[in-house]
Amino acid sequence: MADTSIRQVLKAKHKAEMRGRSRAERKENRHKSTKIAIFRYAYYAPAFKYLVEQVFDCEYLELPKSTKRTAEMGIQASTDDVCAPFKHMMGDWIEALEMGADIIVQSGGPCRLGYYGEMQEKILRDMGYDFTMLNFSHGIEQGYFGWGKEVIKLVNPDIDIPYGIKQLLAVGHMMSSLDKARDIYMAEGGFEVERGSTKRVWEKMMDSFSVCTNAKEIDAVFTQFKADMRGVERVKPERPIRIGIVGELYTAIDENSNLDLDEKLMGMGVEVHRMLNFTNRYTHYNEENMRRGIAEYVTYDMGPTSTMTLAAAKRYMEDGFDGIIHAKSAGCTPEIDCIPALQRMSEDHHIPVLYLTYDTETSDTGLMTRLEAFYDMLAMKRTKTR
Amino acid sequence: MQREIHTIGLPKALLYYRYGVLWKTFFEELGLTVVVSPDTDRAIVEAGEAASIDECCLASKVYCGHVSALIGSCDALFVPAFASDDHRCGFCTKYQSLPDLVQNTFRDALGGAGCDVLSIFVGNIAKPKKVREAYLELARKLGSTPHEAVRAYRRATRAQKAFDAAHAKAQAEAVELIDRYRALAQTDPSGAEKENVPVPILVVAHPYVSHDAFISGDVLGAIEEAGGFALFADETDHDRTYKRSFDFSDTLPWEINRELVGSILELKDKIAGVIIMSAFPCGPDSLFADALIRSIDDLPMLRLTLDAQSGNAGVQTRVESFMDILGYQAKGGYLHG
Repeated sequence: MADTSIRQVLKAKHKAEMRGRSRAERKENRHKSTKIAIFRYAYYAPAFKYLVEQVFDCEYLELPKSTKRTAEMGIQASTDDVCAPFKHMMGDWIEALEMGADIIVQSGGPCRLGYYGEMQEKILRDMGYDFTMLNFSHGIEQGYFGWGKEVIKLVNPDIDIPYGIKQLLAVGHMMSSLDKARDIYMAEGGFEVERGSTKRVWEKMMDSFSVCTNAKEIDAVFTQFKADMRGVERVKPERPIRIGIVGELYTAIDENSNLDLDEKLMGMGVEVHRMLNFTNRYTHYNEENMRRGIAEYVTYDMGPTSTMTLAAAKRYMEDGFDGIIHAKSAGCTPEIDCIPALQRMSEDHHIPVLYLTYDTETSDTGLMTRLEAFYDMLAMKRTKTR
Repeated sequence: MQREIHTIGLPKALLYYRYGVLWKTFFEELGLTVVVSPDTDRAIVEAGEAASIDECCLASKVYCGHVSALIGSCDALFVPAFASDDHRCGFCTKYQSLPDLVQNTFRDALGGAGCDVLSIFVGNIAKPKKVREAYLELARKLGSTPHEAVRAYRRATRAQKAFDAAHAKAQAEAVELIDRYRALAQTDPSGAEKENVPVPILVVAHPYVSHDAFISGDVLGAIEEAGGFALFADETDHDRTYKRSFDFSDTLPWEINRELVGSILELKDKIAGVIIMSAFPCGPDSLFADALIRSIDDLPMLRLTLDAQSGNAGVQTRVESFMDILGYQAKGGYLHG
């Protein structure tokens, strides 16, 4: 296997360094110089950095903003009919490996995502790259325990486990802080007086998050963000147009693959909501109870994020939102199967739903036209029904 | 509000090709009349296409076509959900969402015809006791006594097992016969007999693709015409092929794809080539077919993506040329005497 070479070299180096030292000394020097890259995903990069630096105790390889080249490399390396996140991730991996990543991390997941890791590893090896892949589709049978074993085996055998667990909880905390911040940002950002002032606050927060080292600092950054947001001058109408975004876990959130959907809507002066995020899907997710609320449309759990898509859509409709946007990657089976239920919901509540399917397109003109038309329609509906 | 259910409709699509015998026997044993939708034809596909979202896969559209053909001719439709609680023997999320997909797609039609959707939720097929419970629960809902339910389920699973075993056995015998024929033909001094030995081709496809004549008929016909003999990767011992598939992949999440790749590994030395067929656009196959082509390099493979096209010339040409190439290779390359 090609991946043994790097690993063996690193292992031997580490062993030589540690030879003759006491256990206490070994513990002192847990840090590994292995460079780890995680795929680009929405606004979670600071949390990924925290995970690598604080939990894995390794070096985090920060990926620059994705470019057209990234997407093109990804498309070239993937089969045509695979879903878009696969292609985006392939682009990320190639770029990361070119930049010197030793380990790349694939999350795995409940649908096709579960096979992404193995397939991507295969393709990258066929292309001749040398690396280690930490694929969380392995060890999934044993849950957190299995994943922990994978990490210790492949990434860093000297992890300080109690400290790592504490910091892992902090990663979750950072993710939910990021999600909360994003909710505020999307709801308020569209009404700023000075263009770009909210974005500046957001970016300042992202920078501060990426240098956090403990939970206290995370809280401080979040508090500062809220204060900064209050300081931004805004003019918000009493009843702004409100749009809820629902859809697939990757495309509906990731601004790189949905062509800045949030920002585009905010730019039109829309209050944007999106229940779907990491916190709501993973940290406190009770699928069965969530499904109770949509029992008239759905009997069973329909797949990875289907229940959340439908529950969120129904809540927005009942809350009197003006419209819903359903965003997904091309060929996303679970989300395609949600569409009939969404259509029935839309009929029953008389709330329009815009269905967006993304592949790896790079031009946003078509999207902009559709969003503008949708916005105009919602605004007209508002004046007519008033 | 539960009405009396006397006739139950089984759409002849998707997992019907895997569990059809079980379902049919089960409901018949419970004393219901079973209506199976007719074989797929152009009208069914068109009805399915009209009812479905454009982006759905062909198999899903065909399923919806069968559902719409059944509405009005039965009291209830049986649409089970199969999910992926186990990450190593799961199903495409299509199967999981099927009952709710049918409910929502055909809400008005179902309500108008007074047709219910009966369903069970099978989370993990590797837990037979749980699966059994789901079926027994359904029988209870239909008004059977526990005794009747247990007996019906036992007979149904036996019938399905016998059906699968018979197909697996027939196929194993066919493989052996071809082997023996080939060995015999070698002894023919004129060498003419060798030409007549059928070329064994393994058809790797989900059962609802390979056994639905409307979708795969052209391909199977073309194989036969070109002197091939089609073996089916799903007509093998499922347990054995499932286990074997771990030689190929640790993380492949889908049961059916596991069995398919297991069959390839089991039959590798007995077959001349592999034809992979997928319904357009198949989620699992978008990765799986690529994995096969990348990982198995000592077997000639042809990948066909099938949609409900009306012409068959394209498919025929590709199968013919594939078979020609196999023929040349068997003779030792293009430049043989």
